[in-house]
Amino acid sequence: MNLDVLAGCVATASCFVTQVSTGLIVGMLLFLVASGLSLIFGVLGVVNFAHGVFYMLGAYFAFAAYEATGSFVLALLAGAAGAGLVGIVFERFFMSRVYGKDLLMQLLVCYAAILICDDLVKIVFGADYKLMGMPEAFATAPVEVLGGFIPGYYIFMVGMALGIGAVLWLGINRTRLGKIIRALAINPQMVGALGINTRLLYAGVFGMGCVLAGTAGALAAPVRTLTPGMGLSVLIESFIVTVIGGMGSIPGALVAAILIGLTRAFGAIGFPLFTDGLMFALMGLVLILRPSGLLGARTA
Amino acid sequence: MLTVENLQKSFGGVQATRDVSLAFPAGSLTAIIGPNGAGKTTFFNLISGQIRPDAGRVVFDGEDVVGRSSLEMVRRGMARAFQVASLFPSLTVREALTAAVTAHQRRSWSLLARFPLGQSRARVEELLELLGLGAKAELVSSSLSHGDQKLLDIGLALAMDPKVLLLDEPTAGMGPDERWRMIEKVHHLWQAKSLTMIFIEHDMDIVFKYAQAVHVLKYGAVLAQGTPAEIRRNQDVIDAYLGTDHHLAEGAA
Amino acid sequence: MRAGLMRDLGLGLIGLVLLLALPALFPHPSLRDFLIYVIAYGLLAMSLNLLVGLTGLVSFGHAAYFASGAYVFGLLMQGGAVSIPVAMLAAVGGTALLALVIGAICVRLKEIYFSFITLAFQMFIHSIILTWVDLTGGDQGLRGGIPRPPFLGIDLGDAGTLYAFCAVVFVACLLVMRQVWQSPFGYTLRMIRDNPARANFLGVDVVRMKLGVFVLAGTMASVAGIIMALFVSGAFPEFGFWTTSGEAIFMIMLGGTQVFLGPVIGAFLLQLLNHYVTIWTHHHGLVLGIVILAIVLGLRRGVADYAMAWLADRRAAAAPPATPAKAAAPAETKAAG
Repeated sequence: MNLDVLAGCVATASCFVTQVSTGLIVGMLLFLVASGLSLIFGVLGVVNFAHGVFYMLGAYFAFAAYEATGSFVLALLAGAAGAGLVGIVFERFFMSRVYGKDLLMQLLVCYAAILICDDLVKIVFGADYKLMGMPEAFATAPVEVLGGFIPGYYIFMVGMALGIGAVLWLGINRTRLGKIIRALAINPQMVGALGINTRLLYAGVFGMGCVLAGTAGALAAPVRTLTPGMGLSVLIESFIVTVIGGMGSIPGALVAAILIGLTRAFGAIGFPLFTDGLMFALMGLVLILRPSGLLGARTA
Repeated sequence: MLTVENLQKSFGGVQATRDVSLAFPAGSLTAIIGPNGAGKTTFFNLISGQIRPDAGRVVFDGEDVVGRSSLEMVRRGMARAFQVASLFPSLTVREALTAAVTAHQRRSWSLLARFPLGQSRARVEELLELLGLGAKAELVSSSLSHGDQKLLDIGLALAMDPKVLLLDEPTAGMGPDERWRMIEKVHHLWQAKSLTMIFIEHDMDIVFKYAQAVHVLKYGAVLAQGTPAEIRRNQDVIDAYLGTDHHLAEGAA
Repeated sequence: MRAGLMRDLGLGLIGLVLLLALPALFPHPSLRDFLIYVIAYGLLAMSLNLLVGLTGLVSFGHAAYFASGAYVFGLLMQGGAVSIPVAMLAAVGGTALLALVIGAICVRLKEIYFSFITLAFQMFIHSIILTWVDLTGGDQGLRGGIPRPPFLGIDLGDAGTLYAFCAVVFVACLLVMRQVWQSPFGYTLRMIRDNPARANFLGVDVVRMKLGVFVLAGTMASVAGIIMALFVSGAFPEFGFWTTSGEAIFMIMLGGTQVFLGPVIGAFLLQLLNHYVTIWTHHHGLVLGIVILAIVLGLRRGVADYAMAWLADRRAAAAPPATPAKAAAPAETKAAG
């Protein structure tokens, strides 16, 4: 424990700003991954324990595309689309076979996907750490705020994540397709009776969730080291975010992700060993006091 | 045996039970009827402790039991069977009945003995006999026919040795012949066990043939109560049913 | 039901003799190590199956009690004040208390929320182990070895004796769990697994029953932790990490949840798989993942469950059609869900 250092940092504007910005980008990545997880749970009622895989795939696809083309825009698109495609294949051929089965079956299918994909990535890209490097467009001097320095890429990332979140929220709440998806979550038979192909819709929603995770991976690629097991810690943390925010709630995921991001950033200074413990304690507390999460529908 | 006084319950502004006062004397067989959404199942949920009324009293066996948990209500002698048979799909008929009898005998915590306990055996045999499920005792509950599942559901409730038995549509989902066989059996159980029985039923022929008293609910309130003969002639009841179903009127003719 | 009890005791004895004979017949130290791993993890998986297979409670945090047993036992032995049996009892008792406190909170939550809160508690405990370096040695684990002073003429310093001791404890725990499985308590838990709301309407105090089995399962897991600590002469934070819980769940699923010994069979298969796959290929995860998919999507249940259902089908096909399907078959042959 190093609470003096923590107190010192909070009292110093520059350190505080730096940590808040770090916390925010961690939070934004978590938000994207967790909102995908939440979307899938909210509509399909299954927990995608393999969600971290799509984050990892997004990062590696982006890395490969960037190496090949040198274009960061193409890298982002490759990460998002690649993860989405793999997600749809995974949903159609594996996950859809265990819908309605017990939780353990779903857990095992996801566990198998994690093992296989981690190994495949290892075979294709190698087991060693990979660095994508910062795209040139962002290789500018960091922005100074109150004596603290915020890299330009951080600002871009936060903007992207918030933008995607807003589009997602509007898409679900303000469009016809969103209306159908919300109906699908409540009464799939009814939606099916309207002549809409629910299986296609399920695959689409699952794929969309994976696109979100893949986008997060692609956005993380310039600022994170890439390893075949990188999805795991993100998976665990996005679970915490989803539970705290409320399973199925996108705004809940945003609030909880920022909370967890900041906990991580400041915990790293004050109590590095106990950061995980604190996050799980938060999750436990929410489950005890409000099992449906901070902003979840009160049905649990 | 059971009286309710001025029972009230609303769900988010919708009044599901309005000022219901009814009496169920010991040993009586009462039918509760009413159009869909009349609050019949809610009424069962209120008296069996599953949901708490907003106001009013439920007096069971001489004591006000409002606010008691469903667990406590069972232990006091109020058992129920459900509209959709609520069973233990992986247990056999015998296992399910034995487990229920064991729970009633307060031996669920028994860790050192082996299942089934000797003390439950006679009771289980008696129940199998009473239900006529003896030949199917070793079948897994989920493999039973619809009618046998409903019967087993009632059997589980009977294992509680109840004073009051609540049956939510014992003949739901059955064909005409099966209905009559089922209600014959229920009637037989009532006679054999001298129970106080309350059942929700849609089939008016069944109600008028078997019930001693009929309570009619509509929009959560008591529309009428009386003997089958009185209810048949009750103009309010005829009006209430004519809108949706003239079965009653024909039956009365 | 004295006959059932005698049969189980007899089978337990045969199992014990087999376990003791195997290393004597094939005296490779690696076989003994292999078997002790199967014993420790098999016991952990069996204890978890009291929750998963018998009660329908999917705990993601069962390794917490495995770790608690190992750490309390290791710390007491390193303290040097107590003998092995006393330290074992204290570790088991302490873990039971821990499980009681955690369980009292967890068992009120349903389904996936129960899974998540058990996970949260486990990771919280794991963090405490990592953070409290002075007591636990942090990420290095309990170092310096766990002393094994002789007691009652038994010297666990000898590898053969240690193995025999673990085998005896293992079989004893299996017999205890078998008793739970076949008791009125066990059948009440099956009611809760199948339909908790109905069980409640039949006078079963569902929350208390769940808490009871939660504590029992934690206690049994602590014994597995003690065996592990004795064997590796230490305790490590990974004992309480989610991967350990995950592995136990995997063993249960691999073996089967509805056959009593399924989890042990799963532990055995997984160790075997790990052993051979690492010899054959570097791509351990790839092979394991494909095996899992084949089992889940092909068999749709654990190996032992599948075999039992297959046997039951064959028996039903062979028997004259008039007799009811499962008059004499043991209760656990029905595959649930």
